[in-house]
Amino acid sequence: MTLSATLGYAPSRPSFGLIRVRRAVTRTAFTLGRSIAIFVPVFLLGTFVTFALRSISGLSPARITLGEDATPEAVHRIEHHWGLDRPFLSQYWSWFDDVLHGNLGRSWSNGADVSRLIGDGLAISLSVATLALVIGIVFGFGLGTLAAVRRTTWIDRTITAVLTVFAVMPPFVVGIVLVGVFAVGLNWFPSAGYVPFAAGASPWFAHLLLPALALSFDTVADVARQLRAGLIGAYQENYVTGAVVRGLSDRRIFFRHVLRNGAGPALTVLGLKFPALIGGSVVTEWIFGLQGFGRFANDSAQAGDVPSVQGVLVVSIVLVVTFNLVVNIVLGKVTPASQRGV
Amino acid sequence: MTRRVFALGTGRLAVGILVFIGLLAVLGPYLAPHDPLASSTTTLAGSSWKHWLGTDYLGRDVSSRLLAGSRTSVLGSVEVALVALVVGVVPGLLSVYLGRVFEWTSLRLADTLIALPFLVFAVAVTALLGNGITQAMLVVGVLVSPLFFRVSRAATLAVARSQYVEAALISGASIGWVVRRHVWVKVLPAIAVALAQTIGVGFIVVSSLSFLGIGVQPPAPTWGGLLASDLNYLHFQPYAPIAPAALIMATVWGCNLLADAIRDVSGENGRALVNTRKARANGARLLPVESRTG
Repeated sequence: MTLSATLGYAPSRPSFGLIRVRRAVTRTAFTLGRSIAIFVPVFLLGTFVTFALRSISGLSPARITLGEDATPEAVHRIEHHWGLDRPFLSQYWSWFDDVLHGNLGRSWSNGADVSRLIGDGLAISLSVATLALVIGIVFGFGLGTLAAVRRTTWIDRTITAVLTVFAVMPPFVVGIVLVGVFAVGLNWFPSAGYVPFAAGASPWFAHLLLPALALSFDTVADVARQLRAGLIGAYQENYVTGAVVRGLSDRRIFFRHVLRNGAGPALTVLGLKFPALIGGSVVTEWIFGLQGFGRFANDSAQAGDVPSVQGVLVVSIVLVVTFNLVVNIVLGKVTPASQRGV
Repeated sequence: MTRRVFALGTGRLAVGILVFIGLLAVLGPYLAPHDPLASSTTTLAGSSWKHWLGTDYLGRDVSSRLLAGSRTSVLGSVEVALVALVVGVVPGLLSVYLGRVFEWTSLRLADTLIALPFLVFAVAVTALLGNGITQAMLVVGVLVSPLFFRVSRAATLAVARSQYVEAALISGASIGWVVRRHVWVKVLPAIAVALAQTIGVGFIVVSSLSFLGIGVQPPAPTWGGLLASDLNYLHFQPYAPIAPAALIMATVWGCNLLADAIRDVSGENGRALVNTRKARANGARLLPVESRTG
């Protein structure tokens, strides 16, 4: 929007256009800087707590590889091999250094590279989460807008009732219902498993759709309800009355005034939903038999494979913070008022 | 305020649902018609007079397991809410009064905790620190506590800048008196809303964990665990998940309704409602800025 206006005015009013571009860049840089300032302490604290988990849990790779009745010498040899007999802070430092270089260590269960294991799973999980997010945005914004524009009619009441049901269904309940109806009952979709994109787009999509739907219900409900409330609030503002009085078209009032000012809460909620999508993947991937990030988290936690769990936690922190950064930048672009700290 | 919540139809409905679930949790184990752990030869049976909801894959009575399993889930979710309340509210109040260092640190800490996907974290911590639902809920409670922190901080900030509090401070009132007399009254409804919400969230987390088989030992019945075993036998008993799923959804719905009802009676009218909602959504994100300006 800023850019098109800039290009439209640029030939006749160059200085004005330049100022707008510079302002937009400054604003983005400011958001970026603030988010990084938040990210660094979050990351340091998060990784420290994550790393301390091993010491607190008292787990050792010797128990996984040798079993319960191992000799103390064998245990000591294995712990020395993994560097666990060094002081805590020196262990933390070398681990942290590796994390910064993208190396998350090796799994205790099979010695495989944790970064690679997580990377494999993440491809599946991010496909599911992205699809869930797209469903959440499309249906959330669609239903929320429809309910707000047709507020206090039967359409609004029906949508609100459906959203209430959506909001109280945890992902695993939705997942079981979807498996029961579409996979077992109607036999339209496979009930479990994953096919890589290379094997064809349509089987790939068919395997992703049900898990994504199971994850998206919560997002759809929250985004739609926040958007409805935000839009109805914006419709009551004086500038909307002013726009009506000036005779602007409904379409223009909606897109220029109501949507831009009313969408802030919905976008904020969308940003907060991302941890829920990652968390929900632990459950949905279990239901749908996907070997993704959430399944990896669950399996390695239950096996007591500490380096893998630490890798999972570090990656999820980074994912969440990155996503929030994107949402903040989008929010700054769409609703300028949110940047003023009102 | 309690009376005004009861004056609303949704408020009565919410309290009714929650009382029903609470009674299930207290009396459920005694009401169970069969031993929830006793297996029999009639496996995967449909509903009958002897077994109201049929039997599972080991021939155990589903209705008994449902009744016996209510306690774990309900206790767990209440624990989440109480832990979050204790950890969150007091720092939220103090962050307004204790100066900038404490304010900055507590805000960063809240940002950290809220950035963690708590289901992943709960799974990790529970599995690594020993298989107990109590530890799991402790962790989840701490991770959810930023909700209470933000709510109590926002309410305190709003009151602390109001003219009547300024007037009270000018006429010599102590901060402790202001908090007890003015701030507390405004924070309380906000906390009640957050409490109802967190019980709902906690309930979903407990059910998810027990669904995955984390935090409870296998033969012990839980609602999530019932769903997990139903999933494996969906071909034989397509309607089996309905009862535990309905109970889980009813509990969460009851919590959400109660939260909405409290919010409705503590806001002045519909308009104020929309605006506070907006302010909260903005405020949640903008607290760092707010702390810089004020």
